[in-house]
Amino acid sequence: MDNDIILEFKNVTKRFPGVVALNDVSFKIQRGEIHGVCGENGAGKSTLMKILSGVYPHSTYEGSVIFNGEELKLGESAIQEAGDKGIAIVYQELTLVPTMSVGENVFLGREPVEYGSINWNQLYANTRGILEKYQLDVQPQMIVKNLGVGKMQMVEIAKALSEKAQVLILDEPTSALSETEIDKLMDILGILKNNGITCIYITHKLDELFRVTDKITVMRDGKEIITELTKNLTQEKLVKYMVGREMKERFPKATRSPSEVVFKVENLQALDPNETNRKVLNGVNFDVRKGEILGIAGLMGAGRTELVMTLFGEYGKIINGKILMGGQEIKPENARQAINAGLSLVPEDRKGMGLVLIQSILKNISLPNLDQFSGFFRIDADAELKASMAQSKSLTIKAPTLEVAVETLSGGNQQKVVISKWLLSKPKVLIMDDPTRGIDVGAKYEIYKLMNDLAESGVAIIMISSDLEEVLGMSDRIMVMCSGHSTATLPVTEATVERVMALATGMSS
Amino acid sequence: MGNSNQTTLKKTDFKSELLQVLRLNVQTYTILLALIGIWAIFFFTTDGTYLAPQNISNLFRQMSVTAFLAAGMVLVIVTGNIDLSVGKLAGFVSVVAAYLQATVWFKYLPDQPILSATLTVVISLGVGALFGALQGYIISYLNVPSFIVTLGGQWLLTGLILLVTQGKTIPANQPWFSDIAQGYVPITWGWIFGIVAIGFLFWNMFRSRQSKRKHGFELRSIYIDLLATGFLALVLLVYVYNVNSYKGIQNPVLLLALTAMIMIYLSNNTRFGRYSYAIGGNRDAARLSGISISGMVFKIFILMGFLSGVGGVVLASYVGYGTTAAGAGYELDAIASCILGGTSTLGGVGTIQGAMIGALIIASLSTGLQMMNVAPAWQYVLKAIVLVLAVLADVYFKRKG
Repeated sequence: MDNDIILEFKNVTKRFPGVVALNDVSFKIQRGEIHGVCGENGAGKSTLMKILSGVYPHSTYEGSVIFNGEELKLGESAIQEAGDKGIAIVYQELTLVPTMSVGENVFLGREPVEYGSINWNQLYANTRGILEKYQLDVQPQMIVKNLGVGKMQMVEIAKALSEKAQVLILDEPTSALSETEIDKLMDILGILKNNGITCIYITHKLDELFRVTDKITVMRDGKEIITELTKNLTQEKLVKYMVGREMKERFPKATRSPSEVVFKVENLQALDPNETNRKVLNGVNFDVRKGEILGIAGLMGAGRTELVMTLFGEYGKIINGKILMGGQEIKPENARQAINAGLSLVPEDRKGMGLVLIQSILKNISLPNLDQFSGFFRIDADAELKASMAQSKSLTIKAPTLEVAVETLSGGNQQKVVISKWLLSKPKVLIMDDPTRGIDVGAKYEIYKLMNDLAESGVAIIMISSDLEEVLGMSDRIMVMCSGHSTATLPVTEATVERVMALATGMSS
Repeated sequence: MGNSNQTTLKKTDFKSELLQVLRLNVQTYTILLALIGIWAIFFFTTDGTYLAPQNISNLFRQMSVTAFLAAGMVLVIVTGNIDLSVGKLAGFVSVVAAYLQATVWFKYLPDQPILSATLTVVISLGVGALFGALQGYIISYLNVPSFIVTLGGQWLLTGLILLVTQGKTIPANQPWFSDIAQGYVPITWGWIFGIVAIGFLFWNMFRSRQSKRKHGFELRSIYIDLLATGFLALVLLVYVYNVNSYKGIQNPVLLLALTAMIMIYLSNNTRFGRYSYAIGGNRDAARLSGISISGMVFKIFILMGFLSGVGGVVLASYVGYGTTAAGAGYELDAIASCILGGTSTLGGVGTIQGAMIGALIIASLSTGLQMMNVAPAWQYVLKAIVLVLAVLADVYFKRKG
């Protein structure tokens, strides 16, 4: 039984232009076990699963995947093929059609057909069969959009299982779930195991790994670090495996002397605008000083982006707590009010929310600042040009003229345009949500330098980053978030990767 | 100033620079070429009468109502909306104007043609703007899609037109009021307007060069600017000469030219214009930049209603009566004008200038085909082919980059 290997990765390497996402990964998964895969953001977990589920077909990677003793060679319509072979995946983002019923979703694309028309009774009977077998508490006829996230997840699992799955991959399934929903999911995993289904459970929440898994594989920087029986591991060991690398000289040196507190958040609680019975923020406390960089660390789904969008008046409905700017309470209800209060936000999704891609650099930089250049009616084009050129020059945006569309620029230069646009509004507090995401190393360094300069000139900077090294390298203090609340704020001198990771995973210390 | 050094050092030859400028505005030139092509074909098939002064005069007047609607429609489409009610709104305004003229003022303000015409215009424009505001409010603040709201608006207005007219035709041919769209600018004044406009074009060109130089921006060769401005000036002169050898510039065409200039200015040089394009280009980025999307969309629909009102007044004055069928189908001509002129249905892209040329193309086709006595059935078929071909060509060129 111990040697009944259902799945084996042999020297799998996956390259993207400029990045090696997976580097010679090899490990084995036994039939019937719950196998946890963990690692930091960007460690290569998701890439590995995409190979398994056919998103990246056989020809696009090196090495081999052995499934039930045979090499898995997925071709053109690979996702379908993987499903037919018995590999099913439940993605982090839900993939259901919200307006359809549970049954329709479970059998979408594989509806039982009789004489050219769908046999609805059969479909709903089959759905009920699957739901009952795995004790999933959902009614087949219910419309999906009326279900909570937890139940949607169950439908997602039922959909995956309806394909006669032998292996079920769950990719960070709990990031949007409440505590009770997570408990329920843990139970379901046990039921699946009893039914002989092998589960691969991807997460970075350590307590969940220790609750359900039999074995854990740790990944880091695209490499498999260790595969070990869960009972032989401890949380401390795991954290060490996840982060264990040396700090390099990636960050420019800075000498700063933060002065008085300019911005303060007290016990902030807010509701999810899309699902008003769920708290996205549940007790956030922090302050930031003039001339200081405050890093916000946390794992995916911890509520970091939701926090800053809420502060900017564009996300959650605040039900409790205070936001103070220079000692005075502010209640921004939209971006304009937040900007007027002295906040600026470099959003996480640069292309989707930061820039109007089809427009010129000039128009992008001046967009939130046109009031500065306008009289009652007319925009003073000279003043606009002058101010934008000055920004562009001080941030060394590389482009032939300010008239080129930002969509033609590199990621680093696009980010500089976003930063320029917000610096021109002369913020007291600059919020940067993952400012170096998807940017090459050289441009990152420039952005770090820029942040240091800004802080020295007296701007308070709040920086979110998924890169722990970046948080430790750039911040004066670090606020750690987990499940919508701030777990602690540490001076950088007291922060270590292990400690931050422990706080971010909600590990009891 | 590193940049200004670059400017003085950089010397590209005239020909390559010209090509570059042409490539940059390929869309505008494609549609201009299409217009010239259409005119050339009709010129030959009608033995030259197509471009005769009287016909040119008619052509421009015929495009004017659609063009007023198209001028507003550009911003509506640019922000990712649509307005299907503009044709009927212009129609409704035209019957309201006719009703005021023929019934109300006849009774309460007899023998006061100037005052009554002025009141008619003011009330008509108000009705247009008010209806636009109503639709805009439902669209922007109550979040009902513009397609649905304005489709409903179209039906509502059809009903209102029938209520006002009681199914009959109302005359609107009173003195002063009919001069609005039937009158001509005196020949001398026509020349003066033409020359002032040309002077403005050159002044504007030199001013913009000067401002660019001041900020060390790269200047293109002065010959290219002179060529472009000179071409526009020439077109203007030929037009004024042509229509002046008939009866002169028509009032509605002058009014349209002024409206178009104001709209061009509005869309390029004010926050209102900038915000519209930003909303269409990326709604979320615009919102996070502190722009009130609802407020902007509301204002744009008020403007659209106002311009429909202008179109309605011109319509009533030009045809001389208000009818139950007034304005039917004009909204589609206006939308087609925008699309022909390069406005993207995806939002964020489009110019007033382009839409004006688009409206001219549609009017040119209709007039030309009528002059050739083509059966109405085939007129529709040919118009359909031109519209789809033009957009197809645009898509093709864009993909080729």
